[in-house]
Amino acid sequence: MGNFAHAHLLSIIVAAPAVAALVVLLLPESERLAIRMAALFGALCSLAGSIEVLRTYDTAQAGLQRMERYALVPSMGIDLSLAVDGWGVSLLLLTGIIITAGVFASFTLEERPKEFFALLLVLVAGVFGVFVAQDIFVFFLFYEVAVLPMYLLIGVWGSHGKVEAHGPFAFIWKRFDVGGREYAAMKLTLMLLVGSAAILVVIIAMYFAAGGTSFDLTHLANTKFPRELQLWAFPLLWLGFGSLAGVFPFHTWSPDGHAAAPTAVSMLHAGVLMKLGAFGVIRIGMMLLPEGARYWAPWVGGIAVINVLYGALSAMSQKDLKYIIAYSSVSHMGVVMLGAATLTVDGWNGAIYQMFAHGMMTGLFFALVGLIYGRAHTRLIPRMGGFAKDMPWVAGFFVLAGLSSLGLPGLAGFVAEFLVFMGAWQSAHSWWAIPGIVGAWVTAVYVLNASRTIFFGTGPSDEFHELRDAHGTEWVALWGLSLCLMLFGSYPRLILDFIHIATNEYLPKVALVADQLAVLAR
Amino acid sequence: MTPTLEDLRPLSLDLALLLGAFAVLTVDLFLPHGRKRALGWLTLALLLGVFTASFFVDVSGPAFAGTYLGGPWALMWKRIALCAGALTTLASLDHVDRHFPTRQGEFYLLLLFCLTGMTILPGVRDIIPLIISFELMGIPLSVLAAYAKTEDKDGVHKHAPEAGLKLYLVSAVSTAITLFGLSLVYGMSGATKLDAIAHAQLSPLLSVGMLMTLAGLAFKIGAVPFHMWIPDTYQGAPTPVVAFLSVAPKASGFAALSAILLIAFRANQAPLASVLVLSIVASLLVGNLMALPQNDVKRMLGYSGIAQVGYMLIGLYTGTSYGVGMLLFYLTGYLVSNLGVFFVLEVVAPRRFGVDVSELDGLVRRAPWLGLALLMFLLSLAGIPFAVGFWAKFFIFMAAYRAGQTWLVLFGATMAIVSLFYYLRVARAAFMQPPATNETLQIRPALAAAIIVCLLGVVGMGLYPAPFLERAAAAAQAFLEGQG
Repeated sequence: MGNFAHAHLLSIIVAAPAVAALVVLLLPESERLAIRMAALFGALCSLAGSIEVLRTYDTAQAGLQRMERYALVPSMGIDLSLAVDGWGVSLLLLTGIIITAGVFASFTLEERPKEFFALLLVLVAGVFGVFVAQDIFVFFLFYEVAVLPMYLLIGVWGSHGKVEAHGPFAFIWKRFDVGGREYAAMKLTLMLLVGSAAILVVIIAMYFAAGGTSFDLTHLANTKFPRELQLWAFPLLWLGFGSLAGVFPFHTWSPDGHAAAPTAVSMLHAGVLMKLGAFGVIRIGMMLLPEGARYWAPWVGGIAVINVLYGALSAMSQKDLKYIIAYSSVSHMGVVMLGAATLTVDGWNGAIYQMFAHGMMTGLFFALVGLIYGRAHTRLIPRMGGFAKDMPWVAGFFVLAGLSSLGLPGLAGFVAEFLVFMGAWQSAHSWWAIPGIVGAWVTAVYVLNASRTIFFGTGPSDEFHELRDAHGTEWVALWGLSLCLMLFGSYPRLILDFIHIATNEYLPKVALVADQLAVLAR
Repeated sequence: MTPTLEDLRPLSLDLALLLGAFAVLTVDLFLPHGRKRALGWLTLALLLGVFTASFFVDVSGPAFAGTYLGGPWALMWKRIALCAGALTTLASLDHVDRHFPTRQGEFYLLLLFCLTGMTILPGVRDIIPLIISFELMGIPLSVLAAYAKTEDKDGVHKHAPEAGLKLYLVSAVSTAITLFGLSLVYGMSGATKLDAIAHAQLSPLLSVGMLMTLAGLAFKIGAVPFHMWIPDTYQGAPTPVVAFLSVAPKASGFAALSAILLIAFRANQAPLASVLVLSIVASLLVGNLMALPQNDVKRMLGYSGIAQVGYMLIGLYTGTSYGVGMLLFYLTGYLVSNLGVFFVLEVVAPRRFGVDVSELDGLVRRAPWLGLALLMFLLSLAGIPFAVGFWAKFFIFMAAYRAGQTWLVLFGATMAIVSLFYYLRVARAAFMQPPATNETLQIRPALAAAIIVCLLGVVGMGLYPAPFLERAAAAAQAFLEGQG
């Protein structure tokens, strides 16, 4: 058994949530505790597996490890092949942590917990699958599995908050129930699937250009695609994956979606799912189409800068707590894309590290927002005030997440942003660093402002009589994520070493080699 | 060349079906009222028996001087038809027993005749038996479509006769057009054998003939601009019949189209290609866009079926063995998904002609597994991964890309996203709306079994499509290499 588990660890990590989902489906609706325990068990299995993968990853050997390969459609060369590299190791760990925290955060969910946990687990199985898939087709399959349950998760369990219809197009807003959860769910699904269609076209094109025998990522990465194909295919991939990563101007689903989603779903979505998009741009787009990546890098980086600034400024002007966090995600994902576009070692390390750090941070944020909303029954910041009196720990955690968000040294966010800005400075477009840093400053403004208004100052008024601190299982997510933020902020090598190995291996194939030698020698 | 008994061997499965149909007719005469339900089980046993036999009996080889050619291609189509027939029978058992207790014999008889036409057609290599077997499939269907003629007592909306009449008239007109076209083709080529027609010189008159043939067959499969009958017929016919109706003429139509386009007109395809492309684009556009505003699920499925035909035509349009194989795979996937949706509708609204979307409200709370099954079927139709429909669309796109039609891939993928909008609308009603009534749903075991089989098909082929895919590809290759 031990040997079997060891040899098939990646399959187990991917399958555990899916099996747990099936178990949850088979349990009767009334057995709520059993349903929760099954979900938790599935999540914990994956987390334990991820930690084991991290522990046993051979840093000296580097490269792809724990290869598993099963034929899926032999005649076309589609294999269910799984393996991890340094990036996969860290992102698996992130997913494991977030899903466990997410299950704890929604442990007390009352409304149809059975279907909720089943969908949540299916989604997370897809996420795990994307991070370990070594076949572009299987990558795409898992990607879709991760995206689609969102429709039901938001549409059924989402919050009721609506945006007031106003302006010249108010009648259209009313007609389509803008801001409602079903609107948000549909918008998210359709926008992301338009992206999927673009990805699918490129996958087919690459498959045939590479000889039409195999979808294997390594095989495709070793193929030199014609320049013409690279130039049209890269923007399509960037659009496809980028729409999930919240790239401007395809980010509009994200604030609505995150605001409407239930707590655990927001955590997973902002914490992990948006990373799939950025991961796709780097792992598929940049690595398979290096010429395209180099050609379009100025655009990718330029738009990422818009993301950083636009997201931060939008967050500053929001009054709804969830929209603030959602726009801050758009801004932070801009940092990831910026790091990717620099095509430097530091930039790529920073991009992956930012995925990791932002995942923890935004997970913590959404867990806290869910807590606050559950007690205050409003998300409108101007109505809040003085909450720290009744929920001191929540206030403390919120400020901690905020400090990581604005990049305070010692917390995980700082490491990531610092690396990205260093990468930007070294890149061909040094000016990218400046708006990036300005974005971090704007983040400080809105995060501190929100913390002040919500937790300090006068209040709370009588309408908020239900306020109280976290209790029971709620503590788990808060403590877990906060400790991770501090741990990975003060000792980044824990993850950065793994990321660096993969970056060193992949980047020379993408960026101009001469540039890199200088960086590596330093 | 005188026909011998050996000529019947490739047709033995079809003959068994035909004899079985007569057996059903005979048994019907001796069964007392109230026991007629047994006829359904008899039909089911017959279909399953023939299906099983198809794995053991050798039906390959030519018959009647090359008029018929058995082989992997014909066999695959036969199995598809038999599966569709068996599933329909299983799902109709209770419906027929409850609503037409005295007319059960005819129902299954007509179904079996229709199936016999369907199973013979793909192997036929001569235009005259081609048309005959097509009509053997088509005429019983119009009777089946009007089967609920006495159900509709209020006398205002005569849905059932309308459905049957529309189907009949359209079939008759389209057959006439096809026949006229084929008579021109015969006049220009001097042959009725498909491979002999292929040697005809291209002339304007031959082009007219080919176009008319194509138009007539386009009516049958419901490709734009010959799609008008579909929504009305779907709305008015009994649901299990609609389920069959949504699959049978399409399957036969594509079998006939493949034979005529890829064998008889293979050398002279130039004038047809642009027409075919126009029809593909129009089907995808009209089907998807017209499905969007429909409130009636059956009508919506009708329009969505038109869009699905557009995808299948892409496979045919490529003309490669790969493309045709993928058409076959697409059809298999479409069959299980589409039958599944209609069977779920049959559970939810058994007596209704139209089924409003709101009748599905809160389905998942009234019957969780049924809701889940419905979701899987819809996702499969929309082409979402880990349902067979995804592979089907993906392989069709692969075929189109390989044939150099990148723009068709982009267009088809875009339209697939449009389709998601109306499929998800049904899912939204089932999952997100509060239930309209708290009545518990009665699911009869036979119907439940049919739904489970469909669900297994959708998920099974979705998880591991390889064996079906390879069979379909091999069948298409044999077909194009002239091995039947």
